Amino acid sequence: MLTNQVRPVPDTGATVMTRAADDRPILTATGITKRFPGVLALDNVHLELRRGEVHALCGENGAGKSTLMKIITGLYQTDEGEVVFKGEKRHFQSIQEAQAVGITMIHQELNLVPHLTVAENIYLAREPRKGLFINNRKMEADAQVYLDRLKVNIKASDPVLSLTVARQQMVEIAKALSLNAEVLIMDEPTSSLTESEIDRLFEIIQELKAQGVGIIYISHRLDELRRIVDRVTVMRDGRYVSTRDLAAITVDDIVAAMVGRALEDKFPERTSTPTAEEIFAVHGLSRDKVFENIGFTLRRGEILGFAGLMGAGRTEVARAIFGADPKTRGTVTLAGRALDIRSPIDAINAGIAYLSEDRKLNGLAVRMSVKDNITMANMAAVTDRFGFINDAAERKAAQRYVGLLNIKTPSLTQIVRNLSGGNQQKVVIGKWLFRDSRVLFFDEPTRGIDVGAKFAIYQLLDKLARDGVGVILITSELPEILGMTDRVVVFHEGEVTGILETRQTSQEEIMQYASGVKHMSC
Amino acid sequence: MAITEIGVQDRKMNLDRKDLIQKFAALAGLVLLVIAFALTSTAFLTMSNGVTIALQTTSIAFLGFGATCVIITGGIDLSVGSVLALAGVVAGMVAKEGIPVPIAMAVGVIAGGVCGLINGLIITRMRLPPFIATLGMMMVARGVALQITGARPVSGLGESFGVLGNGSLLRVVEEGANGFPKVVFPGIPYPVIVMVVLAIVIAILLLKTTFGRHLYAIGSNEEAARLSGVNVARTKIGAYVLAGLLAGLCGCVLMSRLVTAQPNEGVAYELDAIASAVIGGTSLVGGVGTISGTVIGAFIIGILRNGLNMNGVSSFIQMITIGLVIIVTVWIDQMRNRK
Repeated sequence: MLTNQVRPVPDTGATVMTRAADDRPILTATGITKRFPGVLALDNVHLELRRGEVHALCGENGAGKSTLMKIITGLYQTDEGEVVFKGEKRHFQSIQEAQAVGITMIHQELNLVPHLTVAENIYLAREPRKGLFINNRKMEADAQVYLDRLKVNIKASDPVLSLTVARQQMVEIAKALSLNAEVLIMDEPTSSLTESEIDRLFEIIQELKAQGVGIIYISHRLDELRRIVDRVTVMRDGRYVSTRDLAAITVDDIVAAMVGRALEDKFPERTSTPTAEEIFAVHGLSRDKVFENIGFTLRRGEILGFAGLMGAGRTEVARAIFGADPKTRGTVTLAGRALDIRSPIDAINAGIAYLSEDRKLNGLAVRMSVKDNITMANMAAVTDRFGFINDAAERKAAQRYVGLLNIKTPSLTQIVRNLSGGNQQKVVIGKWLFRDSRVLFFDEPTRGIDVGAKFAIYQLLDKLARDGVGVILITSELPEILGMTDRVVVFHEGEVTGILETRQTSQEEIMQYASGVKHMSC
Repeated sequence: MAITEIGVQDRKMNLDRKDLIQKFAALAGLVLLVIAFALTSTAFLTMSNGVTIALQTTSIAFLGFGATCVIITGGIDLSVGSVLALAGVVAGMVAKEGIPVPIAMAVGVIAGGVCGLINGLIITRMRLPPFIATLGMMMVARGVALQITGARPVSGLGESFGVLGNGSLLRVVEEGANGFPKVVFPGIPYPVIVMVVLAIVIAILLLKTTFGRHLYAIGSNEEAARLSGVNVARTKIGAYVLAGLLAGLCGCVLMSRLVTAQPNEGVAYELDAIASAVIGGTSLVGGVGTISGTVIGAFIIGILRNGLNMNGVSSFIQMITIGLVIIVTVWIDQMRNRK
């Protein structure tokens, strides 16, 4: 499977490698290779950051961006290749080591302790002391200096939990300044900010830039890059693709580099065709402050996609339909019968299954066996009328799905934690197939699994649809939407902004609906 | 890909081996204890001492079985020591009213179950952490037991009240040459028989029934269990009710042995129960644990106490020893869970 994969050649010809004397890099990573058990996470990746540069790092989910950042910041150690910081080869063994020399990362999920004050957070684990005690006055005064430099109206003595997310982010930046950061890595910094907050953030980034700080900027919002970014490095499937001056390229160029040209090879041919028969419908589904008036239908043989940005409400809608979260109103109809779903038990009994986006958190009992996980949602089928588990029946059922889904496991009693990501996902799928589910929600089913396993999951989705099972695919990867679905429901901030025929749409059009630029009611 | 699979298999065999080592470590520890005490004390390895050990271990085991079920769900039950006192006192007071002893004890056991039910409801409906809920119950149940008895033992319960705790099966007594009765075989005490039956029943419950499977599923990943359609609240309540019923039974047996209902009985017994489960390989994180392990754990504690006693070791040194055993066994368990 893997050998047939057409690997697009990196367009190195266009790679900008000019090194003027005054813009010598502050940080270079060359030939970075990182293996995890069963997965090659990074394969010979390069990145070069100059002083006073904002350098965007782009790639789809799973492209290896965060693994690369974890190596640069000392959380992971690289297997091959080297990181050079200010002309010196470095092997950071911990985040603290990287921070000490001036490399700091601000994570998307901010790392602040809510019950401490701003100053206490900025100086956490390096509190200035006077004798045995913390020198609070000095700590707050010092913290205030950095906050004032950012021209933000935050008092160092404020508790962090009283601040908005945008202000908490400013605290993180102040913390980075206090660490004398010369390299600052920002992961999706704008994902939870309002327009005016983004403007302020960008001003601050410009100021940091003027001070000579090199900034690695990770964002999915490609339209923002134009405002601050100098160069862009694109990664795909754990490999380096290209580094370009932003001025020389368009957003479409970046998308093309991110997706690759071998898109069609990533997905199997669809063998199911949608019929006119409507098997599942949702109308007017709402949950206060989360999503509003959601409606869609699913036809036999169809794969329906849910697209949208992070936090658009796709997962929340699926969980509400499944009864895992509450809903305020709305109707759910399966095969013409209205359902009253109040808990996952009701949904499962009706034939609806939800494969959660985080397998380990919500999908699998990782310390239990393959067999126990497969039969977990349908114990009644393997117990006798006295409530005792029939071992033979249970093994037979588990064996059937291990075979059917080609789950690679040494035995049925293998603990699920020891399987690879792809095989774990198949175990979850096996669980729901054994339950005879009629509608399956797949929430990010291919996240964190390797290319070969992805292909097998895609084939399975197609087969399910062909067998008449309703398949709803929730994914943040637009190529998956384009490659696998028949229609796509696009979400934007808790609303459905468009329902599109996949064949007649494009990534760009979906993004326009997902970002709220286009709206079907307009 | 082939390499990956071999890797997985390798790791699997490794884990299994570690699992076995842990299991045998506890059992081997038990055997070593027996050998060591047999060498240091001639009275240790006798029939009557064996019966004594078994009898002393029963109360730890009853509570340990309940603790195992609760801890498998990722919970904890600190109230069983107090609940057993309340249950025993209730059984004693009911019996004192002239109600037949079996019915009185059944009422006591049910009182224990009600305490467990309340624990379960507080944990699932009020969503309090099990530690807090059962800490509260520990104080409430003890307080109720002291209040309803006026902090005085309930005595004069009649001989029949002592049968469960003091009677035994197949006891053989001969009249000796000097006219005094001579015990040929001390018999199997009823509490020991109850322990064996309970161990088998609860082991089957855990391994062979949907309820047992759901306990493990909840402890392994509560959200995954919920999303798989497991009735999490009901299953958890079931675990606490079971722990309560077993505490109630333990209380009846203990009070029966004394033929007096003592509201002060069972203080800190919950810690022995938790220790026996943990020594036997039950993980406080949840999802892991067996009854056979808990039986071994209970006997390790019972034999340590008995053997150290026979060697004239003070009860303070006994506490130190058992404390160290807990720390070392859990450390071994942690090593097993780390890769």
